[in-house]
Amino acid sequence: MPSVIEAQDVSFAYVRVPVLEHISFAVNAGDYVGIIGPNGGGKTTLLKLLLGLEKGKGQIKLFGQPLRTFKAWRKIGYLAQKSPVSQGGFPVSAEEVVLMGLSERHGSGVSVSELKQVHEAMQKTRTREYAGRIFHDLSIGQQQRVLLARALVSRPELLILDEPSTALDPESREMFFDLLGELNTRFGVTILLITHDTGEVGKYISKFMYIDKTLVFYGTKQEFCHSAAVAEKLGAFAQHTIDHLHNHGRCPLGGSCGEEVR
Amino acid sequence: MITEFLSYGFVQRGLAAGSLVAAACALLGVFLVLKRLSLIGDGMSHVCLTGVAAALLLSANPVYVSVPVVAAASLGIMKLAQKFKIYGDAAIGIVSAAGLSVGLLITALAGGFNTDLLGYLFGSILTVSKDEAVLCGLLLAAVLAGLFFFYRDLTSACFDEPFARTRGIAVQTINTVLVVITSVAVVLAFKVVGIFLISALLIIPPVSALLISRTFKQVLWLAACFGVASVWVGVYLSFVFNIPSGATIILVNLCILALSYGWSKMGGLKNAR
Repeated sequence: MPSVIEAQDVSFAYVRVPVLEHISFAVNAGDYVGIIGPNGGGKTTLLKLLLGLEKGKGQIKLFGQPLRTFKAWRKIGYLAQKSPVSQGGFPVSAEEVVLMGLSERHGSGVSVSELKQVHEAMQKTRTREYAGRIFHDLSIGQQQRVLLARALVSRPELLILDEPSTALDPESREMFFDLLGELNTRFGVTILLITHDTGEVGKYISKFMYIDKTLVFYGTKQEFCHSAAVAEKLGAFAQHTIDHLHNHGRCPLGGSCGEEVR
Repeated sequence: MITEFLSYGFVQRGLAAGSLVAAACALLGVFLVLKRLSLIGDGMSHVCLTGVAAALLLSANPVYVSVPVVAAASLGIMKLAQKFKIYGDAAIGIVSAAGLSVGLLITALAGGFNTDLLGYLFGSILTVSKDEAVLCGLLLAAVLAGLFFFYRDLTSACFDEPFARTRGIAVQTINTVLVVITSVAVVLAFKVVGIFLISALLIIPPVSALLISRTFKQVLWLAACFGVASVWVGVYLSFVFNIPSGATIILVNLCILALSYGWSKMGGLKNAR
């Protein structure tokens, strides 16, 4: 399996305060990686480093290319933790927001194929019904789905998502994770997802990455779920995640294995 | 009376230059307002004083001396905000204070050109030269060309800067070009409304347009129209009532803002589909 992401000895500090230290890992094509860890553990910073939004130490490669020379951004879809709500007065329609995910053209013209891609992405995320409405007039949950459509519109091979489900109601959340699961299993899209919602998403995730300033754990769901040593090493937070997986029947060996963990 | 008003060559030049620079300022202002950088125009206008004072001291054309001074200051504001991680408005305040102090110092040390300086502080649209009118035309042409060729990049960078960077859009370059072109607009606008009121041309027409528009293209069109209309009405009223043109232009802008606000409360263009 070719590596979609390779991180080698990546570190980052905010004005001498270390946030991430010596992180190395590889994400293979087709992986669905759930990034978990305590608040302030550096998860969002790691995603920003991978996308070049922050500059740290170490080496990052995307699709085999060093980050500084990487140009094929259409291969990557990104959905941030917060929608750009600060731009409350920006009169732009949901459809125009989705179009922003396509950056091959620079001027104001829109081609037929681009419109087709936009409609396809909005269809997938069930946002076509409010395509013409002003983005900031939508509810936060609707905005988040439009932003997911923007992340999907370039038909990316890698999706990077930072806690995308926090603003969604339970029904939308289930739809959202089912869609991500389908993208991963049917279309082979590699997914890197920060989440605290391991119950719903747990059925699709193939690997877990536990970040708490350092890379504490990175392995398959099975390794994560059934290693007493891992549970002991990672402490209360990981135990909570493992319990969550078991309680929702997302454990790869079935829901009756809770005792093995403890 | 309007025919008589339009028959004067200096009025025609003033209106042409004023319309061109007001449209350019309004279009640039839309991006500055949405990027929460509207006060950068205020900072640049204060730095203008240094350029004008230096030009008067050297007996040079204030426009040509002020452009590099203000452009350097605007880049300084960006560097201060990025490199030293201070807030953008604080960086504007620092550079603005520096520009004003140096300008006042040059004025005090040189002496003798207080009357000339007053003309720049409060604007004198009817003294615009042919060359300056041509420069205003070039400025608007550059702004329109930028909008035409980079519309999607500009809107994307303005709406969600981090996401735009993940699309490979050169956000840093866009920001740099935006503030440099704005600095040129600020310098060309000081003849129209005066150093003290330049920032109003960058802020008020876009805000009026944002209040009532439904689409981003409407915002751009309306902002430019409001800017141009304010120059024509303002200059005409100043001619009729013999009052300062710069201040009148800004008061007309404020009236447009009040009307836009009133209309926005009724739904504005948002209800007119």
